[in-house]
Amino acid sequence: MPKVKIPRKSTAIDMTAMCDVAFLLLTFFILTTKFRPQEAVQIDIPASTAQIPIPDRDIMMFQIAPDGRLFFNLDDQPTRLKLLERLSTAYSMPFTAQQKDAFRTLENWGMDLRALPDFLSKDPATRATITQPGLNIDTTGGEHQVEDLILFSRQENNNLRIAIKGDKTTEYRYFDKLIQALQNRKVNKFNLITSARAAKE
Amino acid sequence: MNVSGGGGHKKGPKKVRGKKMSTRVDLTAMVDLGFLLITFFMLATTFNKPKTMEVNKPAKEKDDDKLKEPPIKMSKTASLMLGARDKLYAYVSPDEIDATTELTIDSIDYSPNGLRKFIQRRQREVKEQWGDQDLLFVMIKPLPGSNVKNIVDVLDEMTINDVKRYAILEANDPIDSLIALKTGQKRK
Repeated sequence: MPKVKIPRKSTAIDMTAMCDVAFLLLTFFILTTKFRPQEAVQIDIPASTAQIPIPDRDIMMFQIAPDGRLFFNLDDQPTRLKLLERLSTAYSMPFTAQQKDAFRTLENWGMDLRALPDFLSKDPATRATITQPGLNIDTTGGEHQVEDLILFSRQENNNLRIAIKGDKTTEYRYFDKLIQALQNRKVNKFNLITSARAAKE
Repeated sequence: MNVSGGGGHKKGPKKVRGKKMSTRVDLTAMVDLGFLLITFFMLATTFNKPKTMEVNKPAKEKDDDKLKEPPIKMSKTASLMLGARDKLYAYVSPDEIDATTELTIDSIDYSPNGLRKFIQRRQREVKEQWGDQDLLFVMIKPLPGSNVKNIVDVLDEMTINDVKRYAILEANDPIDSLIALKTGQKRK
């Protein structure tokens, strides 16, 4: 009986195609990853069992620092520019093209609106070193700055959802001030940002 | 490269010829690295995403609206007053207050043993009295000194226990001021 000889095959396979696929996927993930924007203040969010992920677009975010300072962020750059136009007319503050461009890329800011032009003129490195005082929510001067921000942003983009990111230790009185401002602008629905946690049994 | 053809080069007695190397490279290590990075970016994108909790506040009502709506039966409710320093007071307002009314106020904490037990107890009681535990209405009253974590914890507990009706309200009930006064919490 003749012995059937199995030809010995090399165990090395061509990795080129696999390598191509791997790097294609890698490129995809790198491009779709959004890196965390620079934070004006460190915020430690509370945990909850809520399962709704935060939407990717059309978010107006308020951040409340533990000391009560309030910060504002719009995710959409065209809306930011439109908002600045509205603020410019409402508060009769002219902005230069340079300042507008600075505002377009400005994430998470919080200061009196009157101080905004001056802040925008500074270069980004200097801006990062300044401790921002927080938005002016005080309405005793007759100006409703936070309410105006809410109103103008929503008028420029009516799909905006409102998210509030409060630190664990932020006291309710600061939180309440913001909610009052929102409710004055007829916003009764908003999202609290929390981190995920499993329910304890 | 040999393009002149035929004759070849005759430069010396011994021709130094470069050893022909294979152009094939072992890609295994590169693929490993590729997939490692893919894994990293996949995990980084999905795990970094914070969750949100939706909050609906009752619309600010005008004074004439207040008169139209009948007040809710207090025996269907539970009140939670959130104080400073992670204090939580739970009570059930009586339907009518007179001289003989007794009111128990529990000082509980945010743990499953405290808050969750209280909510579940109220759900049972409402079910016994009214037939349906979904009729329970929880009034959440944060005092200025309470913090965001407290509110998130309470709202979370509403979801966990499937409380259908709850609202964040101002602590302006006479009972609230009494508790605040007794426990030394600031109400305004």
